Amino acid sequence: MSTPLHDDIYKLMREPIDLAALARHVRAPEDGAVVTFDGFVRNQSHNRPTLYLDYEAYESMALAKMREIGAHLHEKYRIHRVAIVHRLGRLEIGETSVFIAVSAPHRAAAFDACRFAIDTLKRTVPIWKKEYFEDGAVWADGELPPAPAATPRAKPAS
Amino acid sequence: MPSVSQTIRVKVLFFGRLKEIVGHAEESLEFSDAATIEQLFAHFATRSPELAKFRSSLVASCNQEFAAWNTPLHSGDEVAFLPPVSGG
Repeated sequence: MSTPLHDDIYKLMREPIDLAALARHVRAPEDGAVVTFDGFVRNQSHNRPTLYLDYEAYESMALAKMREIGAHLHEKYRIHRVAIVHRLGRLEIGETSVFIAVSAPHRAAAFDACRFAIDTLKRTVPIWKKEYFEDGAVWADGELPPAPAATPRAKPAS
Repeated sequence: MPSVSQTIRVKVLFFGRLKEIVGHAEESLEFSDAATIEQLFAHFATRSPELAKFRSSLVASCNQEFAAWNTPLHSGDEVAFLPPVSGG
């Protein structure tokens, strides 16, 4: 992608996410709006009380895919800065697992970009969560990312 | 004596329930003939038969990019088998 970096933040982390710092980071004098998405751990899944969640990722690919989403946002929407941060490891009820912040001169682009970012992240970024209940644990139902059907990639001769 | 076949060495990664079935997160594999991602998966499914039933609900990646099952492997490739993703 040819998109420059725009002071964006893309990060996987094992410590709690500082939401306020990320919202501040994307905010600039030339902007007029910041839209954020705060995804956090729900206390139940299909009416079963959840104890906690454990997230794992294919870290190098997940970061690459998060950056790809950001590059796509800059191409598609009139926005300024993007922050996409996902937490890994054990998360308790109420803790933020994913946080997205988008700034823009005008609100419509920020809303649209933030929505596109979380929807695309949930479909394409290789991160998995295991849900722990009183009586056991299951890998959460997920979405199968779209993959090329049958196109052998070209590889430069080495 | 010159050899007609070339040894291919790839790194293979497993995630989520696949990691639990296989018993570890990564391994290196060497084989002497050209192979595709599909054949690589078949190799592991022979060793861990429970893997086979997940074949239709997986995607593969090669060098951190989603890849078709018929992608030919090259030495040094990093291949991963990815269950449906559930981040967020």
